[in-house]
Amino acid sequence: MNAQPPKQALKFLRWFCREDFIDEIEGDLVEIFEMHYQENPKKAVRGFWWQVLLHFRPDYIKSFNFIQFLIYQNMLHINFKIAWRHITKKKLYSIINITGLGVGIASCLLILLYIQFELSYDQYHTKLNDIYRVLHAYKPIEKKNMETQPEEFQVWGNAPIAEAMSRDFPEVKSTFQFTSPANFLFQYEEKIFQEDNMIFADSNAFDMFSWKMLQGDPLTALDEPYNIVLTEDIANKYFGNEDPLGKTIIVDEKETYTVTGVMENVPANSHFTFDGLVSMSTFRKYRPSIFENWGYVDFYTYFTLHDKSQLANLEAKADEFTQKYTSNWDQTHYVISFEPMSDAYLHSKAGRQPGETGSLSNLYIFASIALFILLIACINFINLSTSRSLERAKEVGIRKVAGAIKSTLTVQFLTEYILLTFLSLILALILVVAFAPILQDLIGKPINYQILFSWKIMPVLLIATILIGLLAGSYPAWLLSKFKPATVLKGIFRNSNKGIALRKVLVVFQFSLSIALMIGTSIVLSQLEFLQNKDLGFDKEQMLILDFGWDNKVQQQIEAIEQSFLAHPNVTAVSASRAVPGDFLPNAGTFIENAQGEMMMYNPTIYEIDQTFIQNYNIEMAAGRPFSIDFPSDSISSLIVNEAAAKLWGYEDPKEMIGKPFDQWGKKGTVVGVVKDFNYQSLHREVEPLTLRFEHYSLRKFSIRVKPQEIRKTLADLEKTWKELVPHRPFVYTFLDDSFNKQYQADNRFSKIFGIFTSIAIFIACLGLFGLTAYTTSQRTKEIGIRKVLGASVLNIVTLLSTGFIKLFLISLIIAIPAAWYFMAKWLDTFAYQIGMNLFVFAFAGFMALAIALITISWQSLKAAIANPIDSLKSE
Amino acid sequence: MKIPTLGEFEELVLLTVAAQHDQAYGVSIMESLEKKLQKKINVSAIHVALKRMEEKGFIQSRYGGITNDRGGRRKKFYVITAFGKQVLDNQYALRTSMYLSIPKISFG
Repeated sequence: MNAQPPKQALKFLRWFCREDFIDEIEGDLVEIFEMHYQENPKKAVRGFWWQVLLHFRPDYIKSFNFIQFLIYQNMLHINFKIAWRHITKKKLYSIINITGLGVGIASCLLILLYIQFELSYDQYHTKLNDIYRVLHAYKPIEKKNMETQPEEFQVWGNAPIAEAMSRDFPEVKSTFQFTSPANFLFQYEEKIFQEDNMIFADSNAFDMFSWKMLQGDPLTALDEPYNIVLTEDIANKYFGNEDPLGKTIIVDEKETYTVTGVMENVPANSHFTFDGLVSMSTFRKYRPSIFENWGYVDFYTYFTLHDKSQLANLEAKADEFTQKYTSNWDQTHYVISFEPMSDAYLHSKAGRQPGETGSLSNLYIFASIALFILLIACINFINLSTSRSLERAKEVGIRKVAGAIKSTLTVQFLTEYILLTFLSLILALILVVAFAPILQDLIGKPINYQILFSWKIMPVLLIATILIGLLAGSYPAWLLSKFKPATVLKGIFRNSNKGIALRKVLVVFQFSLSIALMIGTSIVLSQLEFLQNKDLGFDKEQMLILDFGWDNKVQQQIEAIEQSFLAHPNVTAVSASRAVPGDFLPNAGTFIENAQGEMMMYNPTIYEIDQTFIQNYNIEMAAGRPFSIDFPSDSISSLIVNEAAAKLWGYEDPKEMIGKPFDQWGKKGTVVGVVKDFNYQSLHREVEPLTLRFEHYSLRKFSIRVKPQEIRKTLADLEKTWKELVPHRPFVYTFLDDSFNKQYQADNRFSKIFGIFTSIAIFIACLGLFGLTAYTTSQRTKEIGIRKVLGASVLNIVTLLSTGFIKLFLISLIIAIPAAWYFMAKWLDTFAYQIGMNLFVFAFAGFMALAIALITISWQSLKAAIANPIDSLKSE
Repeated sequence: MKIPTLGEFEELVLLTVAAQHDQAYGVSIMESLEKKLQKKINVSAIHVALKRMEEKGFIQSRYGGITNDRGGRRKKFYVITAFGKQVLDNQYALRTSMYLSIPKISFG
C-alpha cells in the first residue's frame, strides 16, 4: 500500500487545522483517499485536495497563536519607535534623506507616468491587434530593384487600393479608409467657424475603431452622403444645449451636411485625431474620379484579416498586386507594405508621417534618466548612512552585549530605513500631485497621476518602496550590524577604509551621472537654440499668415484684397500661396529634361505660390528669375525649382537648368528660375527637391509682412478690412515664426523634460554632497580648531576640506565626458542640421558642475573655517 | 430550557451514529449513508454535523488507538447520549402522530 496523499495538500491541512480536530479530519481524509486510490489514483489526488479545501472553514481553522503574535508585534513596535526617534533626533540628515529620496521617487513616478501615456497610444481600441495599415512608397523606376528604405514609405496613398485589396486578397476581412484633414467653412445660424480637422471616413469607422458614439447610430451614421459625425466639443461649439442630431450645417456656403451622430472627443493618445467625420460617399460625390486613380495620394488605408497569421501571405503577394494595377507606370515604381496599427505611434517603419509620432529612443532616454535619479538618491542614502555609522557604533555594541544577534540588528536598521523610504514615498506622492499639472502644461501631454492611487498600482508602489528601502538600506544595515562589540566599546573604532573606498566610488558614480546629464542638457539646449536661430533661407519674422481655406470667393478677388492690405501703412508686402513654410506639402510626379537631355520623372514636393511670394519671403534666386506680373505666361507654362531639385535632375550649375522643358500636373513649359535652398520643413530633414508653381486657384493663405510697431493696431485694422471684403469668412491668423516652430514641439518637449529632470538629478546629488560634507566637517571640528590656532588661514582650511572632493570630481569628469559624447552624438544624428560638439560645451558643463559642487561644499567648509577655534576646542 | 433543533442531515447522521453504537466514526458514517441514500456524500459535511451535534450534546466522542492505517491518525468514535436519544424519540413521536393524522386518501 504505497498510496501517499498529495504532500502539499496535507501540509496545508496541517497548517490551518486546529490541533483537536486534525486527528479525525486527516485520518478520515487519508482513509477515503486510500480507498479511492485503488480505483483511480489521479481522481483520488484531486478528491483529496477538494476535501482539504472543503475543510478550510472557520470551524476548523487554528486561532492565531496570540502570544507569539504579540511578541512579534511588540518587536516591530519597538523597532518603529527606535527608528522614529533616530529620524527625529538627527533632523538635518533625515530631511536630506527624505527630501532626496522623495524628490527622486517623485521624478521617477512623473517620468513613468509620461512613458505610460506614450505607451498607451491606441490601446483603447478593442480591435487594436487585428487592425493593420498600408504603407506606400513611390520610387523612381531606376531604384526599382533596390530595397525600399524606411524614409521612402509614407502612410498616405491612393483610394482604389482598399477595394482592390478586398477583391484580390481573400485573407482581408474588411477595409477602412479616411482622407487627410479637409478644410471647411461651417455655418450654423449665426456661428461661422473655419474647421481644419474634418476627415472623410468610410462608414465602418465605428465598427473598426472603438470611439464611443454618444448620440446617433454608429452603424449607419456615415452611410449617406452629406452626413457628418461631430466630436463632442465641436457639437457643443455650434449647438450648445440644443440637440445636434438631425441639425444641418451649411458648408462652404453652398452645401448642407446633416449631423447624424455625436461621438466622444478623440482620445489624446490616438495616432490620428480629428474633429469630425464626414461620410466618404460625400467625397465620392465631389471627386468620383479620384476613387479610380492609383496616382492620387491622400488616403489612409486600414484593414483587418480573418486570421492574423495571414499577414505574411499578403506581404508575399504585395509586389504582384501593385504590378497588376500600376503596370502602365513607366517612371514610378509603386511598393506597398503593411504594419500592425499597434506599431503606428512608436514603432512605425514609415519615415514619412502626417502627424507627430512618438520616439521610442526618447522613452529609453527618459527611463534611464528616471533610473539615474533614483540611483543618485539611493547613493545619497547609502553614503549618508554609512558615513554616520560611527554614531551608531556604540549603540550596536551595547545591543550586542545585551544579547542582540546580527539578524535582529539588521532587521532593526532595515525597519528604520524602510520607514524613511515610506516617508519619502508620502512626500513623493504629494510632490507628484502638486507638480503633475505643471508638468502637463509644460510638455502639453496629459499626466494622469490618478492611476497611482488605484488599487492596481498602489500595492506595486508599496512593494517598490520596500525594495528601494532594501536597495538603499541593506548595505548600511549589514555594515552596522557587523560591528564587533569589544572593539566598538573600547573606543578604538574607526571608520573602515573599505567603507570609505566604497563611498568614494559611489560619489564618483553620482558625479559622473550628474555631469553627463549636464553635458546632455547643454547640448540639447544649444541644438534647439541653433534650430530656432538658423538662417532658414527665408525670413520668418514679422510674417502674419491669414488662412482662408481655398475659399472661391476669396480666390477670385485676391488682387483686390492684397491691394487693400497693402494700403495699410504698417504692411510692407503681401503674397498668397497654398502652403507656408512648416506646412505639409504634397508631392507630384514631375518630368523635367535632365542634364543628359532626357525627360526624367521624379517626385518632388510642390509649392503653389503667386508672383510676389518669393520676394515677400526674401528667398534668394540661384539662377533665373522669380515669377512676375510682367510675364503673363508664368501662370500657364513656367516652373521654378530649388537647388536640390536642380541637383536631382543632374545639373551641377543651376544656371544650366533655366529654359529646360517640364511637364507636371497638366502643365507644360520651361523652368524659369532656380531658388536657393530654403528650409521649408523642419531642420530634422535636409532640404528636399522642390518645385514652385504659379497657381491662382490653389491658393489658401495670405502671407502679410508687417512692421513690428503697433502690431495690435495693425491686426485690428486688417481684421476690419477683412470683414468688409470677405464678410462670410472668419479672420484666422497665425504668426509664421510661431507656427513654424511648432514643428519642434516634440524637440522642445524633449528638452524640457530632459532639462527639468537633469536639474532635479543635480539637485539631489548636491543634497547628498551637502550632507556628506556637513558630516565630515563636523567630524573634523577639533582638527580645524587646532589648525587655526596653529595659524592656518581660512583658504588653507577650505582647500584642505575640498581637495578630496575635487579629486573625485576630476575622475568623474574623465568618465562622464566620453559617455555623454557617445550618447549625444546619437541623439544629434536625428537632425539633418546639427551643432558641432565642440569642447566648449563640455568645458562649460564641467565648469558649471564643478561650480555647483564647490558652492555646495564650501557652504559647510567655510562655516567650519570661519568658526572661532575657542568654540570647538573649549569642550572635551 | 430550549431544546436544540435537529436538522434533517443531522438527524440522518445521528441515526447512523446510534445504529453503529460505539463504532461510528467519520468514514463509517459516510459509507453507510452513501449506501442507504444512494448518493455521494462529502465527509466534510459529516464532520460539520458531528461537531454541531456534539456541541448540542446529542453525541459524545472518544479517540481510538493509534494504528498504522490512516497515516497514523487516531479514529474519533461517536456514541449517542441519553439526551440525543430522547430528542430522537421526541422527533419520531411527533412525526408518527402527525403521519397517523393523515386521512386515508386514494391516489387512484
